[in-house]
Amino acid sequence: MTLQQTVRPAVIARSASRRDNGRLIQEISMLAPAVILLTIFLVVPFLLSFWTAMTNQPLVPRPTPIRFVGFNNFLRIFRDELFWTSLWNVSRFTFWILPVQCGLAFATALLLHQKLPFRNLFRGLFFLPAITSMVVVCVIWGTLFQYPSGPFNQIIGFLSGGRIQPIDWLGDPNWAMFSIVLLSAWQAYGFQMIVYLAGLQGIPDELYDAARIDGANAFQRFWHVTMPGLRPTHVFVLVITTIQAFKLYTQVAILTQGGPKSSTETVVHYMVRSGFEEQKLGYASAVSVILFLIVLVIALLQRQLLRRFDV
Amino acid sequence: MGKRLLSFLMASAALGGIAEAKTVIHVMHQGDPGWVATYGEIAKRFEAANPDVDVELIYAPHDAYNEKFSAAVMSKQLPDVMELDAPFLANYVWSGYLQPIKPLVDKDVIDDMTESNIAQGTYPIDKDLYAVGLTDSSVVLYGNKKYLEAIGARIPKSVDEAWTREEFEGYLEKLSKLEGVKWPIDTFRGYGIKTEWITYAYGPILQSAGCDLIDRKTWKSVGTLDSDPCVEALTMMQKWVTNGWVVPQSSGTNQFFAEGQPAALALGGHWFYAEAAASMKDDIVVMPLPKFGPKGASPNGTWIWGITTASEHPDIAGKFVSFMLKDKLYRDYAREDSAYPGLKSFAADSPLYAAGGPMAVAFEQASKTAIARPPHPAYPAITSAFMGAVDEIFNGGDAKAALSKAAEKIDEDIEENDGYPPFDEQQ
Repeated sequence: MTLQQTVRPAVIARSASRRDNGRLIQEISMLAPAVILLTIFLVVPFLLSFWTAMTNQPLVPRPTPIRFVGFNNFLRIFRDELFWTSLWNVSRFTFWILPVQCGLAFATALLLHQKLPFRNLFRGLFFLPAITSMVVVCVIWGTLFQYPSGPFNQIIGFLSGGRIQPIDWLGDPNWAMFSIVLLSAWQAYGFQMIVYLAGLQGIPDELYDAARIDGANAFQRFWHVTMPGLRPTHVFVLVITTIQAFKLYTQVAILTQGGPKSSTETVVHYMVRSGFEEQKLGYASAVSVILFLIVLVIALLQRQLLRRFDV
Repeated sequence: MGKRLLSFLMASAALGGIAEAKTVIHVMHQGDPGWVATYGEIAKRFEAANPDVDVELIYAPHDAYNEKFSAAVMSKQLPDVMELDAPFLANYVWSGYLQPIKPLVDKDVIDDMTESNIAQGTYPIDKDLYAVGLTDSSVVLYGNKKYLEAIGARIPKSVDEAWTREEFEGYLEKLSKLEGVKWPIDTFRGYGIKTEWITYAYGPILQSAGCDLIDRKTWKSVGTLDSDPCVEALTMMQKWVTNGWVVPQSSGTNQFFAEGQPAALALGGHWFYAEAAASMKDDIVVMPLPKFGPKGASPNGTWIWGITTASEHPDIAGKFVSFMLKDKLYRDYAREDSAYPGLKSFAADSPLYAAGGPMAVAFEQASKTAIARPPHPAYPAITSAFMGAVDEIFNGGDAKAALSKAAEKIDEDIEENDGYPPFDEQQ
């Protein structure tokens, strides 16, 4: 008995290790394509950008030599007022877009989760902006925002009986970022809506039935069944939206080019500007490294949050 | 039957031509749809005249042209022939992308160039010609006759009679109170805040006021761009904006001639004439740019054609440039678009700019007040910094602070490139 006990595991272990070897090779060969591709297209460029960030490399070859400049680029970025402005602007954008976009997405998801006639048709319709190209949306909204007699201003003028002066949506430093928030939220909320819909469908009907039997009214069912059931969805949506918000670029590049008075300058736009317009590739790489670190911190916070909510 | 046979023979000859592998010439250009179509037709005509050559046009948008060009450099896909904005010439030649063009294009084209055209295509270090164009450019002050008469403004007929700053600002003030005028002036903020227009059109205001974007001897911007005359000039423009005298950026670029003609004056490019005159007829007057200080100043330089060092067939590229510049239909289209002549033969053929013509003042400016933008390889940095400063100032920022920041940025760029040798030695 004892003999068997001591011998059997050894035999098992030996055959297991042989099996493991076979499995290891199999696993590696299956992992290889992804690992190789990720290395070539993600890891290597990323390391290269770290290296480039330490040099004064221009975008295109120049007659002057490329030098190693250490952390000079980073120091200059931190000294540049415009960089801090862009970081502040992105934070402002994020702070506004979170409630607007997620709120809109949540509200439509709740609505479309009801047993409405033509529910799938409406789901498709509400998702339409999300599959429209951001560039197209920008051009259309650019017209809507026109000052002083664009459609938005005309509607506001009509509703207020001319008491509210036309707003220079994209030309007024106080309004420009808010206007970008509005159009971004409208364009992108479809994705969050789908995530919320999936979350809502994941809540078992039994919970609602039980709540009903307990005498819970509609609001109580929403607050004590729907909301807790959506907790992981909320966290996911918030984090995804935040990370996307930090990468704000297209809308700004098309509609305001960072202006007026740098009120819509964003980190990515700042990066593209220094890399392509001013042709300072080293400097732009340093910006990208900083942006990466910021997004990394957010991603780590996400993990913490998700763990806390036991997902 | 004979015809059919002939066309069959021609078709097979054409097929044979393809099999022989044609020489391909890549031509990079910008322009609005009308110009793009025109270049397409020129390419077709050139191919018809030179059956062994294929012309491939590469379009890049105006406001991102330099970026697109950089991308082409990085991917080693430089065109043979490229259109380039004259102030960027120094940067391109310094970086080694362009080759001297004189030996490659017909001599009669070179002899046909105006002084200003030669100047815009010349690299200041070796004084050699690197690009040539059919056209040049200028900015004038357009006025609406009705409004100017209503306020009793003096209408200058020649460059020497240009308005002074006091006159100009006085008229702006009067126009702002005139019935029907929504904005006294359009300075074309609608072109955006990241467009060469800003440096091109507002730069001369600085020069007229007695300063510049950069000192053209020491190539230092600090002490020049942030000097008092520049600060004063931009504070003046800021005042126009805050007074509500200038068409806002979000109101487009047609307020001068749009329904009701809400803008009374327009500080606009020569190309604006065709569009505005078409709808305003006799109500449009063309005046020289006002004098904001001791002397008058006006911009020049436009999109011109160069041949890159990467070209494998520079001779054919040169042939294409010569062909294009002499092409009659190209000239016809340019004339219709009120293009500003850069070749003498084209000037002789452009009644718009001839003495007594409606745009004669614009042509007069070229010889009397035109100042080229700084011919220095740091120009991309110079113009980018200045655009940023103007945006900040027009939106209420402090002129001194914004210009100091821009000047430091420019000097920093020059320093980073070791002074762009040999520009650092040139005094």
